[in-house]
Amino acid sequence: MIQSIIKRDGRVVLYDQNKIAAAILRAMEASRDGDAADAARVANDVQNDLERRSVGSAPDIELIQDAVERQLMNHGFNAAAKAYILYRANRTRAREANTSLMKTIDEITNIDARISDMKRDNANIDGNTAMGSMLQIGSAGAKAYNEMYLLRPEHAKAYREGDIHIHDFDFYSLTTTCCQIDILKLFHGGFSTGHGYIREPKSIASYAALAAIAIQSNQNDQHGGQSIPNFDYAMAEGVAKTYRKAYYRLLAEALEDKLDLEEQAITVKELVKNVEAKLGQVPAMESSPEFDEAVIYALTKRYGLPLGDASSLVARAKKRAVRKTDRDTHQAMEGFVHNLNTMHSRAGAQTPFSSINYGTDTSAEGRMVIRNILLALDAGLGHGETCIFPIHIFKVKEGVNYNEGDPNYDLFRLSCKVSAKRLFPNYTFLDAPFNLQYYVPGRPETEVATMGCRTRVMGNTYDPTREIAYSRGNLSFTSINLPRIAIESKGDEKVFYEKLQRMMELVAQQLLDRFEIQANKRIYNYPFLMGQGIWLDSDKLTLQDDLREVLKHGTLSIGFIGLAESLTALYGEHHGQSEEIQKKGLEIIGFMRQFCDQKSQELKMNFSLLATPAEGLSGRFIRMDQKRYGKLHGITDREYYTNSFHIPVWYGISAYDKIRLEAPYHALCNAGHISYVELDGDTARNVEAFEAVVRCMHDCGVGYGSINHPVDRDPICGYVGIIGDVCPRCGRREGEEIPFERVEELRKMYPEMPAFQGIE
Amino acid sequence: MTVKSQNEKLGQGVGFERIRRITGYLVGTMDKWNDAKRAEERDRVKHGLNGNA
Repeated sequence: MIQSIIKRDGRVVLYDQNKIAAAILRAMEASRDGDAADAARVANDVQNDLERRSVGSAPDIELIQDAVERQLMNHGFNAAAKAYILYRANRTRAREANTSLMKTIDEITNIDARISDMKRDNANIDGNTAMGSMLQIGSAGAKAYNEMYLLRPEHAKAYREGDIHIHDFDFYSLTTTCCQIDILKLFHGGFSTGHGYIREPKSIASYAALAAIAIQSNQNDQHGGQSIPNFDYAMAEGVAKTYRKAYYRLLAEALEDKLDLEEQAITVKELVKNVEAKLGQVPAMESSPEFDEAVIYALTKRYGLPLGDASSLVARAKKRAVRKTDRDTHQAMEGFVHNLNTMHSRAGAQTPFSSINYGTDTSAEGRMVIRNILLALDAGLGHGETCIFPIHIFKVKEGVNYNEGDPNYDLFRLSCKVSAKRLFPNYTFLDAPFNLQYYVPGRPETEVATMGCRTRVMGNTYDPTREIAYSRGNLSFTSINLPRIAIESKGDEKVFYEKLQRMMELVAQQLLDRFEIQANKRIYNYPFLMGQGIWLDSDKLTLQDDLREVLKHGTLSIGFIGLAESLTALYGEHHGQSEEIQKKGLEIIGFMRQFCDQKSQELKMNFSLLATPAEGLSGRFIRMDQKRYGKLHGITDREYYTNSFHIPVWYGISAYDKIRLEAPYHALCNAGHISYVELDGDTARNVEAFEAVVRCMHDCGVGYGSINHPVDRDPICGYVGIIGDVCPRCGRREGEEIPFERVEELRKMYPEMPAFQGIE
Repeated sequence: MTVKSQNEKLGQGVGFERIRRITGYLVGTMDKWNDAKRAEERDRVKHGLNGNA
């Protein structure tokens, strides 16, 4: 006779057959297989079963559950037995998830991030700080919940086992990835951050400051990066306003000096305003001769000045206003860069992930912005450190800045010089056919802009009249473990494509499930992104509307990593090794793109193919695959899978060949792509060589590229460049000390040297 | 880590900062990178401008 049982936590409690009957009845009801009387009969046999098996000792929960399963089947309640087994498996999974969640939180709480790889999963979150840890704890909890309650079992399994990776999984139920912020639309008429209303800015200083605020505010509504697609065009408006103010004031001052008069500011402003009203023009760096003459004439009339005097007053005021505006612009750009490297998002755990696109505005104001943002980037932060944010993206376009004689060619050259020192800007190429097809001169919103790490949004199957870069972004993305599919196909191409097709269907469904959650949100869930009309058409929504339709302007992206390893698994070589395999690579990626295009047409939504930026992922997939398949030569024998369609980083190849081989994949990966070239430090510092690489990318049809080279810095003497074992400026080795006097001597030679304050 | 020791010297225990690009973003120094990315950075070979590297 059973008296007691042992619970999971070890407590011994009185045996109660009614509880067993109740559990059986629940399974029966769930499967419509049996009633209360049946449940009581089965429970009775469960007791007999237990008495036979645990003679004298108290049974534990697992033993009881085994008996319930057995007796349900003995009595022929097969459906109920199945329901019971499922319920039991789910409970086990939930219990394990809870245990693993607590273990994760324990690691976040107690282990130094330098030791814990998990805490360095995302290099931009400092897992050692209070707020960084809080963010990681929240993230761990959200992931556990999302997997248990939101994913379909087949998606949860694919994710858990590393067939796919659902990016930003902690935000699964909360928001979308990223957005290109049309900063001009936001500024016009003023805006609200949610914590206060801001008037339309009136100078370049406030344009730049508010641009940083806009990035910060929007970052709190999305989990991905924030980008400004029209940085030059937008800031140019601020420059024009600063110039106008400077012009009024400096003209008045010049006049006061000339005629020895008191305060003429109001009179002069009125006088110029009259000319503005008459001609419909305003003072500008490139004002028309007609405008200047009208001001000169008005001055001679009002002040009885000779024509020559009035004309030189205007010329001087213009020159000084340009100088003053240039200074202000420089300061504003420096401030902007400093802001973006120091301001906080997500409760202080991160700086916002920010990007700015520029290079094509050829107005005097736009050019002033581009030059000064490049100079600010070149100068670095307070101690000459390289700026981590924002990502600078220089838009290259023939006829605008690519060739000698193009209006912004000088700025393109400057960008090469700066990038050779600071790693930024990256380059996006508007002449690549898949970008050029959208380009309309004079409409900057048709210029492809990039979201920092690589995301690109341009085509629009949902609304083909809105194929623009502005006010759109990615909704979510999930990546496929391509090498695993290749390994599992055991060299059989047909099997590979079948498996790939199935996996893409699974991912598409998962993205749609996630979209369903996103689509049911409202404006008030995203007070800035939607509430301030940043996202396309969100300004047409009412509080009652869900976001379904406006979100369809965004993209659902299917990503992949490890094309190189996949090719090696299938054909024995990767695409850097033979032209034949390159063709095979393009077939695979072409197949994936075609799948996305078909899905888009079918659903009138924007499915796109992403060359995944494989930060956390590159190690996650391969670790699991090493456990499954061991270390396969050229496939699973390193610590990472190769980034998207890249030629492996360890493979010796010329810059030209790497670019030539990777370029065609840019055309296929319409959700985003990037190619890197690694230069040694000396080559990178050679601006001609650097520019030649950028030109090669342009001519080969690359969409987005950047050049990597070593950027080192000695915090003691402030030297920035390549440091081998010994610092070329102060001569110390890593960790060595040098005499204070030596530092002071160096300071005389390098006045910009920082005063070393401690470890930054 | 001491910065300025008693004998008026500077820099003991202070390393060099090495900034690298990771998936499009720059990361201040490599000590915040995850293990797989560190390995990838270590394996990177330079690309020559002519011929085969």
